Formats: sequence, C-alpha cells, structure tokens
Amino acid sequence: MKAGRPRHIGARVQRFEDIRLLSGSARYIDDVRLPDMLHLMFVRSDTAHARIRSVDTSALSDLEFPTWVFTGKDTAGLSMKAHQDYPEMQYSEQPLLAEDRVRFVGEPVAVVLAEDAYKAEDAAEHIFVDYEPLPVVGTMEQARDAAIPPLFDGWKSNVIVQRQMKGGDLEAAKAAAAHVVKRTYRTQRQAGVPMEGRGVVARYDHSDRVLTVWSSTQMPHLVRTYISEELGLPESRIRVVAPDVGGGFGVKGQVYADEVLIAWVAMKTGRPVKWIEDRREHLIASIHARDHEHTLEAYVSADGRLLGLKADITVDNGAYSTFPFTSAGEPGMVGKVLPGPYDFHAYEATFRAVATNKCAIGTYRGVARPSAVFSQERLMDDIATELGMDPFEFRLKNIIREFPYRNVLGFTYDAGSYAESLERMRKLLAEDVAQAAASHGSRTKRIGVGIACFIEQTAHGTPDFTRRRVPIETGYIAARVEMSPDGEVTIDLGLQNHGQGLETTMAQVAADALGVQPENVYVRHGDTLTTPYSVGTWGSRGGPLGGGAVHIAASRIADKLRAIAAHLLQARPDEIELADGLASVRDNPGRHIKISRLARIALRNVDQLPEGMAPGLEAQFSLDGPRDGTYSNAVHAAVVEIDVPTGKMKLRRFVVIEDCGTILNPLVVDGQVRGGVVQGIGSAMFEHFIYDGECQPLTTSFADYLMPLAPEIPNIEVHHIETPTPLTPLGAKGLGEGGAIGPAAAIANAVSNALGVNVSATPLNGNAIWNLSRHLRDAS
Amino acid sequence: MRPATFEYHRATSLEHALQLLGEFGEEARPIAGGQSLVPMMNFRLARPGHLVDINRLPLNAIEIVGSMLRIGALTRHGAYFDHPLIARHFPAFLDAVHYIGHPTIRRNGSIGGSISHADPTAELPAVAVLHDADIVVRSAAEERRIKASEFFVSAYVTALEPGEMVVAVEFPIPPAASAGSFVEMSERSGDFATASVGIVLEHEGGRIAKAAMVCSGAGLVPIRAPDVESHLLNRALNDPHAEEAGRIFAASIDPVDDHIASAAYRRSLIAELTRRAIETACSRALGRS
Repeated sequence: MKAGRPRHIGARVQRFEDIRLLSGSARYIDDVRLPDMLHLMFVRSDTAHARIRSVDTSALSDLEFPTWVFTGKDTAGLSMKAHQDYPEMQYSEQPLLAEDRVRFVGEPVAVVLAEDAYKAEDAAEHIFVDYEPLPVVGTMEQARDAAIPPLFDGWKSNVIVQRQMKGGDLEAAKAAAAHVVKRTYRTQRQAGVPMEGRGVVARYDHSDRVLTVWSSTQMPHLVRTYISEELGLPESRIRVVAPDVGGGFGVKGQVYADEVLIAWVAMKTGRPVKWIEDRREHLIASIHARDHEHTLEAYVSADGRLLGLKADITVDNGAYSTFPFTSAGEPGMVGKVLPGPYDFHAYEATFRAVATNKCAIGTYRGVARPSAVFSQERLMDDIATELGMDPFEFRLKNIIREFPYRNVLGFTYDAGSYAESLERMRKLLAEDVAQAAASHGSRTKRIGVGIACFIEQTAHGTPDFTRRRVPIETGYIAARVEMSPDGEVTIDLGLQNHGQGLETTMAQVAADALGVQPENVYVRHGDTLTTPYSVGTWGSRGGPLGGGAVHIAASRIADKLRAIAAHLLQARPDEIELADGLASVRDNPGRHIKISRLARIALRNVDQLPEGMAPGLEAQFSLDGPRDGTYSNAVHAAVVEIDVPTGKMKLRRFVVIEDCGTILNPLVVDGQVRGGVVQGIGSAMFEHFIYDGECQPLTTSFADYLMPLAPEIPNIEVHHIETPTPLTPLGAKGLGEGGAIGPAAAIANAVSNALGVNVSATPLNGNAIWNLSRHLRDAS
Repeated sequence: MRPATFEYHRATSLEHALQLLGEFGEEARPIAGGQSLVPMMNFRLARPGHLVDINRLPLNAIEIVGSMLRIGALTRHGAYFDHPLIARHFPAFLDAVHYIGHPTIRRNGSIGGSISHADPTAELPAVAVLHDADIVVRSAAEERRIKASEFFVSAYVTALEPGEMVVAVEFPIPPAASAGSFVEMSERSGDFATASVGIVLEHEGGRIAKAAMVCSGAGLVPIRAPDVESHLLNRALNDPHAEEAGRIFAASIDPVDDHIASAAYRRSLIAELTRRAIETACSRALGRS
C-alpha cells in the first residue's frame, strides 16, 4: 500500500449520505418533476404466450382528456439485443413494444400517455388487445422437450444455449472413487425487490438536440450507450442521470427496454415523459432471479477426499435475454464457481439456459452464486453424512490451504482465510452443535446447525468479460479527483451509489491519499455529464476497483502537492508528508504549510509554482480488474429451531465470518453483510415467484410475494478476518454480494441437521418444513 | 396502481354518514383506516364512486352495555392491548389481536373495517364468530343486529345491504368461570393466518360445561366446530382429550389449497392448533398461566 499509514481507511466513519437519506431529503426518480410533463402507463400482456391479432385504441377518443398512444407498430425495428458471442447461442431480441407476439405476462404491448398519472391509468383501460393464445412453455422439462415448438421463429429448440467447462480427468476420478454421491438441488424463482421500484423520465430538447434521461439505474453510462446505438443519437448529446436510487441489488444493473422506449417517446411527443413503475409491474416484469436445477455427482475417496465433480445445470431463463449479462450469464456463472473453496482436480459442468413463457432472469445480488453455493454446500453435507463424517471435518479435509491456488478450471485464487474461518466458526458454534444433538431425540422440537463455506470472485473486470464474450465488453471503473483552490476535494465517480456507502468510503480513501479529512471530500456520481465513463455499480467491484481508482488518482494529486511543498519548504518531495491538512517535512514537523495554501498556489497564485510546473490539481484514473478477479471468502452459519407439528421454523442465530481483504469502513462492511444476509434469508425461507401451469403469475403483490420482515430476522453476528490482496491497490476485495450468497445453503443445512433428512430445495417455508418432517410425525 | 376516480365526502355525524351511504347506495363505501379498502382500490379491484370518510365520528368506545361488551366500529386494533375489559373477559380476543398486522396497521385499522372487509383469514371475524357476537349495523332507516355466524356470507362478502354500515360489534360477556385462547400460524408475523383456531369455554367443578371453537383457513368464512364443542363437554380441564378434538375438527373441514399452503398442511395445522388452543384455555381455567 502506497498510502502510508492510513488514518481514515478502516475507520468507523458514519455514512455522510445518511444525513440526506434518513432525513427525507434525498431526491429519487419520482421527485423529478418537469413542466409540461406527460405520464406514461404501460398496457402489458395478460396472456403468457399469444399472437396479437389487434390492438384497438379507438376508445381513447371517448375520453374527455387528451391522450397519446404508441403500439408495437410504431416502434417496429427497435429492440433490446443481448447476445453473448457464442456460436451455439440462439439469438433473440425483445421488441420495445410487442408487435405480433407476446411471450410472458407483463410484456409491454402499448403505452398511453396523459397529463397526469391517474388519467394515464384510466386511459390504459380503454385499450383492447385481441390475443390468440398459443400453448405455453412453462417448465424446464417442457423447454427441453424437442416436440414443443420454440418460442422464437428460426430457433431449433427452446434450449437457448448449452455449453461445457471441464478440467482434469473425470473418468479417472470416478474410477478411483470409493463413494459416488449424486443429488439434484433446486432453487426457486425470485423477484428482486429494492425498496424503490424503477422509473424513467426523459426530455428531448429539439433546439440543441440534447436528450436527458433520468433513470433509477445502477449503470447510467451503459444506458447512454445503449440508447445512442438504438436510437442513433450521438452519445455526446445524451445525458443520463441516476438520482438517488432506493436500492438496486442488480435488478437495476441491466438496461431495460423501457429506458430506451421512454427516451424515444419523449422525442416523438416533444414533451417530457415520466413513468414510475408500480409494485405489480416490478414483480411481474422487471427481472427475475435464480430458478436453477443442478444435478451434481461427486467422486470421493474412502478417506473422504473429494476427487472429482460432475455437474448438470439448468436455468429457467424466461423468454428474453437481458442486456448486458445475457441469458448465458446465469448458468455459465454456476459452471464457473461450483469448484468453490475445495481442492480437487477433476471437474466437468454442462450448463444450459432454457426459454419459457416467463419474465427474463437477470442479475440479482449474488448472481447465480446463491444457487451454486446452495448446491455445493448441500452436497458437502450430504457427502459428509454418507461418509459418517462431521461436516466441519469433511470440509477441512478438502479445503484449499495454499495460495495462490490454481483451480481445476485454471482460475487463480489469491490468498484467503478459508481454513481459519472454518476453524473459528466451529469454535463459535460448539454450544449450538451440542444443543442440536441433544434435541434430536425429540419428535416435536428440533434444533439444527448448518454452515455454508464459500468464495466469491469479486473485482472482476475486462479480462473476465472478454473471456465470457459478454456484451458489457469492459469492466474498468474510473474516478476523477480534483482539488479546488480552497483545498476542498471533489471526486467524480464512475460508480453509482445506491446504498453501498460510496460517498463515505471513497472520501476516506481520498482523504488518506491527500492528507485531508473525509469531510473535505465531496463525492459526486450517477450523472454522465459530470462523471467519467464506467460501466456502473454491480458485481462487488466498487470498493476494490472504485476505491483503487480513487486512491491512484488522488495519489497523483498528492505527488504534485508534495512537489509544490518541497519547493516552498526547500525539501525533497519524498520528505513531504501529507496529513491533517498539512504538508510537513518528515522528522521536522515544524516546517510545514497548509494543504489549502498549496491548492491556492496550484490554481490561483500560480506564479509561486516551481519553474515549469503546469497549474491545476486534478487527476483521473480508470482501474480494471485483475485477470481472475480477487476472491473474498466467508463462512455463514445458521442455527434453527423447528416446531415439528406446525413446520414453524425460527432462526435462533445467524453468524458470519467474512474476509474481504482490507476493510475500508467496518460499519459499511457490517451493513452490507447484514443486508445481504436478510435477502439470503428471504431466498431460504420466504420469497417465491410462482407461475401456474398457464404461466400466469400468482404472486403479484406483497400479500403473496413474501419478503423477509424484521420480526423473522435474528441478530446477525458478523466477524472479520482481513487478508489483503496484492491484486488491488488498497488490498480490498469485494463484499457487496457475499451476505446474500450463503444463507440459503446454511439454513438448508441446518434444517437437514435438525430433521435428519436430505433438503434439496428452497424456499423452506412452513409447508416445506412440514413436508420434510413427516417421518417424525408419522412415527409418533 | 392508482384508484379509479371517486368522490370524497367527510361525514360530520353518523346521521350524515348514513344519509350519504343511503344516497349513493352500492356506489358508496365508508372508509376508516383504509388498510384493506385502499389497496383494493389501488388494484382497481374495488371501484367505489363515493368514499364516505367516517374517521371523525364518535364510534370508538369500548363499554359494557347490559350483558354485552360493545366495541364501536372505529376502535383501532391497538386499543385492545392494555384495555382492562378485554383482558378481564376476553382472553381469546386478546390473544388474537397480537396476530393482527404490524404497528401501522394496528394504529389505523378498525374493527368495523375488518368485520366489513370479511377476509376469510382475518382475526377479528374469527373472534366475532367464536363469541357469537352481534354485528350492529345501521342505515338511515333502521338499526339491525346480525349474528356474526350469519354476517359472514363468503370471502369478502357480508350480509350488509347497500346504505348500511357497521356501527359496533357486541360481544356477550362470558361468566366468571370461563377461559379462552386463540392460536395462529402464519408464514411471517403479522400476515393473514395460514390457519388459526380459537376457543372459549365455561367450566364448573373442574370440567368443561360449555365450549365454542372456531377456525380460519378452512373455508371462505370462519368455521365453528359443533362436533368438537360437544366432544369437549364434561371433559376434565386437566384431561380435555385435546388431541382427539384436533382430529375431529380436522376431519370435519375442507381446507383451502393455495400457493402458500396445501390443504393437507392446513388440515394438520388446524388439528395441532386445536390441541394447543384447548390445552392453553384449560390451563388458564385451572389458574395456570
């Protein structure tokens, strides 16, 4: 670390943005109100699969107020294209508005605009779509049935893409195995649910041909690029603003058809246009997540060494491919990460995405890894049970201990604390394990302990995306740092802050490099007009890469401040230390000058600069991810208590030991971990987006789609181990998603332990627990 | 998710409210806390042309009237928690209100609203059926008293006629030698019940002299259990054969099957909750906690 002795990195600094967020003075997308604004309402398909015979808008003329209406015919040729460059991938486009065919309930068919949102909703009831229903493709099995016609013309089947990854000699592993453990695991379809839904406002100024789009997005620059390419406007004349965003979790980490469409409508009508998504729309038509089935076959030696793993992975992708991570992203991620933290040398994964008449799968906190870790860690417990080994013992026998480690697929893991965190967790749980064992004679009340041990590739960038041939193409994060004449600092960050604490942590990083206080650093983000091009905030990259970019850019300004100070104090630049607002000569702190004075000289009293030095105090740096990213690791543990007669499960305890390298701010890390764990508990126990046999959604409000609520959440204990990585400038690894990755596996393992049964699917709601404990009731 | 157009009226007196409801008939709905009606309107599942705001009417007394406890229709759910009359006479009622929603819902939601909305798994309709409560309804022309068991017709359907409004719910006060309990299972605290069971019993000489039981989650309205009620008669409080009662109740019902819970699970829950409700009530009758 070049920053020297950090004063602010690692400190428990309260989040600056909370003053705004918690006092109600944040400005969200719905706070954008423009003169002459029209309000847009979607007409969405109520049929899962149909040909559109006609869209009748004639009844709009009965209304006593003006309306504007657009259908798929008006937007013909405009679409979302999200194609991973694999030759075997079947290509599909999602039209901005369906023209002749709809493929899921919620797909936009028309838009109608009026001068207020109530009128727009009234008007939508005056548009009549005549559908000719087609048979639905409703399940993975139907999607893989060659006899069922494909959802898209020109497709050979409903398997969108199927690929393989392999390493080592699987046949030899199988031949050498004393035990073969084969299991199938299923994780359910979820919606991603940020507190604030999505929304878009667009305004086109004809006089200077500037399009401004406000969107509740995690990736304003990518929205700008996509709109530019699809609508044929120069990027220089498009400004995309992400105002305060009330949670994203990856749901807002895709470019949506509506962002392009609303920009187009604003240009067509010449009026500013606003659309605020309602919760029903969000649940049925923003992205869905998970919905995986994995069949794993493990080859294990007589003494409990994992020799090889074979995996068959299917993801029910829904109808369309999302930009920029595509429908190949989710299954491919499972294939890539299943080897996990374990040392074995033969692996083969076959993975596929299949198309069904459902909402598209996209990125949601954890992205495929909650499902992958569910299967991986359930399998570890199932193998341990089969071998009669303790789950900790079996994992410790197979855990990777030497770093850097090149895994079976050729990915290199930097150092982590895999074994240490397992050992520590075992100590923390000793009493719970004993209580659980003591309860296992009971037929009415059972206690169970389960763990999940996992790694998470974070801070991945361009090399990873190039390898995956994914249309995001690049992954660097840019920061521009500027000191003004009064010594105050501004960071224009290519990231978008929507809960990550970036307005605080990035200020801490810059403050250490520049010798100022974090309070002197103002972080701006989320506006393409002011921030350098970047691909947005997602993928557990903000801390390691954003923090690294800020550190390097700020350090370049610090170098210049040291040069000016050295000149004025008659010392060498390498003798100058910047701290507490002063530039001082090392070992002679009496010789110093205020940093604010140096800033004034650099920008105003430039005659005092050293001979030949250019004025100015700004620097920009774009930091890309290391070849294989950097690997965070964690162990999660759940202690559950089950009331056997009712299936009611209570979480007695949830413990996390995490290692994200250098911690920028422990309060932010704890908050990220706890928030993620709550979402993981949602995956484990509550959230389930359900379609019936005709692909009609059944869980379209919060009465039916059950989010985890505060009374169900135990105190979440968080412990830290810090193993800094040499691969990022500050030693930081990513941690934004980790909290959400482990809980489903840990809770399922705890249920398995409590009831003495194989748990193969989530969610573990009351009915599921009741089903799993039938053997205890029947015997009593 | 915005309501269709409606006209808003603020009633200044009960007579004013009843006059407005009478005038607009089926087009009108009274609104109190709006905890059920407003979401229904936002989904456009309810489209009243006229909303009559009754929040300012003096309908929130909890008082003894003769042999009944009369609860005004505007009484909010939060009012029961530390109310001495509820605590003294209605232990099952007090148990039940702990399962209602969350603080916001309890502060705004009213008994008249919950009863009129008639959600098949809501707590207060079940408690009203359990206690043979009278639903007191008024129109501009007359006042009617309807037995709870006749008031709830089907899911979200009641015996209320256009122009009528619930003004109070009256619960017969049980004799001193009585006890009760109410237990519920839901996925999350505050949710509508997956299933719930309530009991009130009267006892004499250590034996059950009279019992009433109700469950929700087994049909479109709260269901009483005459077979179980007669099964419990003369049982000793310290050996009420509660498990058998649960089996009898479960065998007599045809539970709902949906994406939250299968019919088999609900049936099993009702058996178990019946056992627990009976055991708790008996143990309370015996003076154990």
